[in-house]
Amino acid sequence: MLDLDALLPAIAAGDADAFGRFLAGAEGRVRASLRPYATRVDTEAVLQETLLRVWQVAPRHAPDGRPNSLLRLAIRIGRNLCIDDLRRARLAPVETDDLDEAHIDPVEPRAPDPLLRKLIADCHEKLPDKPAEVLAARLASGGTEPDETLAERLGMRINTFLQNFTRARKMLAECLEKHHVDLSVELR
Amino acid sequence: MSGNPGDDRDALIEALASAYRARGALGEVRTHPAFHDLDDAGRAEAFEVAHKQRVMEAALHPEGLSTTARAVLARIRGGG
Repeated sequence: MLDLDALLPAIAAGDADAFGRFLAGAEGRVRASLRPYATRVDTEAVLQETLLRVWQVAPRHAPDGRPNSLLRLAIRIGRNLCIDDLRRARLAPVETDDLDEAHIDPVEPRAPDPLLRKLIADCHEKLPDKPAEVLAARLASGGTEPDETLAERLGMRINTFLQNFTRARKMLAECLEKHHVDLSVELR
Repeated sequence: MSGNPGDDRDALIEALASAYRARGALGEVRTHPAFHDLDDAGRAEAFEVAHKQRVMEAALHPEGLSTTARAVLARIRGGG
C-alpha cells in the first residue's frame, strides 16, 4: 500500500514540491469524498480551502500509526468545512456513510501516465483551433485566473469561451473513447 | 458579475467546473457565483465534469498536477 505519509516530514518542513506530490496522490480521493455535498456546497472551493489548511496544519500533525494519516486528515477537514457551510446556510446535514476514515482506500500518486498523456496530447492536437485555444488557456493559467480574463485575452465573449471549452472537453472524450479510454474509469 | 456567464445552463456548469476561485477579504476561497445559479442537477453535473477534467489535466502535467493542485500551490507560494 502506498503511504503518502512518507512525504510528511518534507511537507512539515515547508517543502512545497513535496506537498505537490501529496496533492498529486491525494486530490482525487479528497474530491471524491466531497461528492455527497456537491449539490449543497461548492466542492471545488471547499477542496482548495481544505488543501490549504492541510498545508498549514501539517507541521503540527502527529501520524496515528496507520497509513495515510495526512490524507485522512484532509478528508476530515473537507467534511467539517462542508458541515460548517451547511450550518451557516441553515441547511440540513447530508447523510453519508462513505466517509468512515477506517475504510479510506488510498490512491496511487498521480504520476503521469505516459500512454494516457500521449493519447490526450494526440487528441488535443486534433481539436479545432478555438476549442484548442480555450483548453490551452485554462491549462496555462493553472486555476489562477478567472475565465473572463482568459476569454478577454483570446478576444472572446465569456459564453463563447465556455461553449468552446465544452466542445473541447466533449471532443477530447470522444477521441479518447475511440482509443478505449474512459476518463471516468481513471477517477480515483 | 465575475465568473457568471448568465442563464446558459451549460455555460454555468462549465464555469463552475473550472478550478479558479476568487479569494475573500480574509484570503478564504470563495464560492463560485455560478453555483448559486444552478439547480441540484446542474451542480452535480459540474462536480462530475470537474472530476474528469482534473484527471485529464493531471495526465497532461509533467508532475501530475491538476489545475486545482496548481492553484493551491500558487497560493502557498504566494502567487495565487
